[in-house]
Amino acid sequence: MTVDILFQAFALVFRWDVILIILASGLFGMFVGAMPGLTATMATALLIPVTFFMDPVPALGAIVTATAMAIFAGDIPAAMLRMPGTPASAAYTDESYLMGRKGQLDLNLGTNLVTSVLGGLIGVAILVLAAPALAEFALAFSSFEYFWLAALGLTCAVFLATNDPLKGFASLFLGLGLGTIGIDPAAGFPRFTFGSVELMQGVSFIPAMIGMFAISELLRGVTSMQGSGEVVLQQVGNVFKGVGGVLRRYWVNFLRGSGIGVVIGALPGAGADIAAWISYAVSKRFSKEPEKFGTGHVEGIVDAGAANNSALAAAWIPALVFGIPGDSITAIVIGVLYMKGMNPGPTVFLQNPQLIYAVFMIFVLANLLMLPLGWAIIKSAKQVLRVPKNILLPMILIFCVVGSYAMTNSVYGIIIMLVLGIFAFMLEENGFPIAPIILGLVLGEMFEQNFITSMIKSDGSFLAFFARPIAGMLGVATIAIWLIMLWRMGPWSKARPAAV
Amino acid sequence: MTDLTRRHLMVTAAGVGLASQLAAPAIAQTFPVRPITLVVPWGAGGGTDATARIVGSLMEKEFGQPVNVVNRTGGSGVVGHSAIATGAADGYTIGMITVEITMMHWQGLTQLNPDSYTPLALMNEDPPGVQVSASSPYADLKALADAIRANPGKLKASGTGQGGIWHLALVGWLGAMGLPPSAVPWVPSNGAAPAMQDLAAGGIDIVTCSVPEAKAMLDAGRAKSLAIMASARNPQFPNVPTLKEAMGVDYTVGAWRGIAAPKGLPAPIAERYTSVLKKINESKEFTDFMAARGFGVKWADGAGFAKFMAEGNASMGVAMKAAGLARSA
Amino acid sequence: MRFNDLVSGAILIAVALIVIVLTLNFPAFPGQNYGPAVFPRLLAGLLMLCGLVMGIRGFAAWRAGEPLAEVPSWARDPANIVSALLVLAAALAYIFVLDAVGFVPLTLVVLLVLFLWFKVRVPVAVVTALVAAFGINWFFASLMRVPLPRGLMDWIL
Repeated sequence: MTVDILFQAFALVFRWDVILIILASGLFGMFVGAMPGLTATMATALLIPVTFFMDPVPALGAIVTATAMAIFAGDIPAAMLRMPGTPASAAYTDESYLMGRKGQLDLNLGTNLVTSVLGGLIGVAILVLAAPALAEFALAFSSFEYFWLAALGLTCAVFLATNDPLKGFASLFLGLGLGTIGIDPAAGFPRFTFGSVELMQGVSFIPAMIGMFAISELLRGVTSMQGSGEVVLQQVGNVFKGVGGVLRRYWVNFLRGSGIGVVIGALPGAGADIAAWISYAVSKRFSKEPEKFGTGHVEGIVDAGAANNSALAAAWIPALVFGIPGDSITAIVIGVLYMKGMNPGPTVFLQNPQLIYAVFMIFVLANLLMLPLGWAIIKSAKQVLRVPKNILLPMILIFCVVGSYAMTNSVYGIIIMLVLGIFAFMLEENGFPIAPIILGLVLGEMFEQNFITSMIKSDGSFLAFFARPIAGMLGVATIAIWLIMLWRMGPWSKARPAAV
Repeated sequence: MTDLTRRHLMVTAAGVGLASQLAAPAIAQTFPVRPITLVVPWGAGGGTDATARIVGSLMEKEFGQPVNVVNRTGGSGVVGHSAIATGAADGYTIGMITVEITMMHWQGLTQLNPDSYTPLALMNEDPPGVQVSASSPYADLKALADAIRANPGKLKASGTGQGGIWHLALVGWLGAMGLPPSAVPWVPSNGAAPAMQDLAAGGIDIVTCSVPEAKAMLDAGRAKSLAIMASARNPQFPNVPTLKEAMGVDYTVGAWRGIAAPKGLPAPIAERYTSVLKKINESKEFTDFMAARGFGVKWADGAGFAKFMAEGNASMGVAMKAAGLARSA
Repeated sequence: MRFNDLVSGAILIAVALIVIVLTLNFPAFPGQNYGPAVFPRLLAGLLMLCGLVMGIRGFAAWRAGEPLAEVPSWARDPANIVSALLVLAAALAYIFVLDAVGFVPLTLVVLLVLFLWFKVRVPVAVVTALVAAFGINWFFASLMRVPLPRGLMDWIL
């Protein structure tokens, strides 16, 4: 890379029309992300017709900016209304919401914003510096490796379960069970569909999440509304106050979260949402005060908030180097790359280096822009909480309905939302945690499909799960974690931890 | 949606269809007066989605009304195809149907078949290629075929789900060589991109997806395409021979995409669509886009598309029964 | 309703049994032992185990005097029950009549009913409902191109 190329890239980015497009798509991404049910993927798909008529740099810049903003903005409704705006916020929705209830909404959103910005920047740095090497690593993942990754992810459920591990496990199995509804991932046979076409698409993840988090919370809200006109909470503070202290205290968490985000984001089979789950669980496992997790504690949010944004940038690594989408957003991006004549592949860095570096610059720019834009959107979103509860709750219901509908483009999404909302309400009344159900829904298909396809590949031999180097390492690590946990849970363990 | 409301909708749709037949010419002149919904049975980011979105944005220019591309995914394509078939036949709901419509009903996944639609235009067809990893020992198709014959069941292939179009392509090719489907066991995947990645990761040996779907890995030098199952070479990939050229086996198949409306669309509206789609199919924007992705452009009008699907449907039935993939509903 | 773990455990076991019965007619995967039925059955087995342990735990608690089911405090106020049922009814209304009535008209009705039940002043309720219904429809249907059903709107526009 020569300085010349950097100057060319610089000239491509810093033009008033490009900057304007970046600003506009940044605002667009913020709105989409903050609306439950509208995802970063949808934002990208909607930008496609617009990008047809743009030059490559503004076209890709619009997508980069909109998605980065959307992933952060998903944290806002999660913290304020217990309604994750995008799936990537699901892992710490409860934690954020509880922080808000404790009066730490500002600290929570500030931490989310700053870790998102910094996590995103780390992701970009790795994308610029180490893309080819990381892509090579990601490319070595076959179904054997993904099976162990899913198994490792499921282990997280153990760390998520708080005071009643038994009910935590029951929730996990229920979530995995819900995930088996629909066409099965291996044989293509419709399971538990009872002849319904709609059920063949399975339990759509986002309507399920809206139902289990937001609808059950809504039911609790309307049944505890004492008198009318009550306001949820009043808070107009400084978003950034205290964030510096949090970062100083938890800088290791931040780096660890970003690192996990980059590695998982670069894997084509896993994206920002799985990165957030795993980093959150890792955070709890290695925390000095794990008992505070699940009570509105900021530590896990530092990890997971950084992880999902760094994963977003890392998903571009396999997309650029091999044309293999790292997530559903980059799947669309690859199409745009082809359309603009920037065919993905190792040669993309050689053929049009100024274009690629211009895109990288926009990545940095977008993450920096996130700071003021995010601050503004938090400020205005907080006005929502000044709305009296008797007006706010019915409005939340409408947003839940529209968001669920938007995911399946049919009433089916609303059905899932309602059924799972009631289901989650009953479960929570009876002390079953919700997070493991969502985790089961996220990982169930990945776990089952990679198990069955691996068995086909190996002609039914279990040894194949350890035959490849990375798979063997992951497998041994997973089994070791299980054994240690079983050992600790056994009656011979003197110091039985309260929350394993 | 419950059965009750769906039935109600279909009755309404039939009523609307009848009413519009009476005042048809007038309607066709002013059509469309409000936004059109273009249903896509596959997810955002895939080839079908990309094709539908370019067709949609070009249609928007022609009609002067918004064309909303709506992804109705899941159920191996059943959900979206059924949404197109059960939509109102007033011209405001159309969809992009794909080769799976001639396959799913043989698998017993649905009752829908090509007759459930008003075909409007065939837009694209892509033949599958035979891809192997760049580090594989097979230099050409003959070497690969010999390896399969020598060790039936050892090599594994992927490219799509169980019973999907690329699975059938593999079975068809094996059949043309006189081999049973079990000679190369199928590893189901979530589509061509994950299968190509698995090929590069060394998890599987062969991927029979279309060459454009394999393009990125071919360009990256991680995979090689040994042949395509078409009657002529793809101008985008002139070095890849046809099956016939490579080993004298005459077998061709393809995955196609076309635009269709619910059954009973009034003829004047159908004709209006077909003429607009023909214009799009020949437009520079469309052909440039398809060439950039390596997709093949193909054209047939409503009647031609119907005939094309009927032939495909019959041959798929034979192939799927032979492969043991057919199941009664 | 808050149930004793004996009841929760029994429900889990019942669910697991239903799942196992339903998997009985799943086809085998051609050429290997692990088909569509394996994973659901494994889960059902694990659920049953959870249910069993939970049942034993609940039985002990029941013997110690815990009731099998108790009505939570919020449900003792009939107004709260009506509130909860209204929210559920609103969601059901969307499920059953959204396609026929259309998003804007249905949202107007749902919001008005809920606002009035929660004692929002009438002028505020009417204005908020109108702004919300048309505003959300504009953002989601026109801008984000979500195909919200137009229903009765087709007659007006």
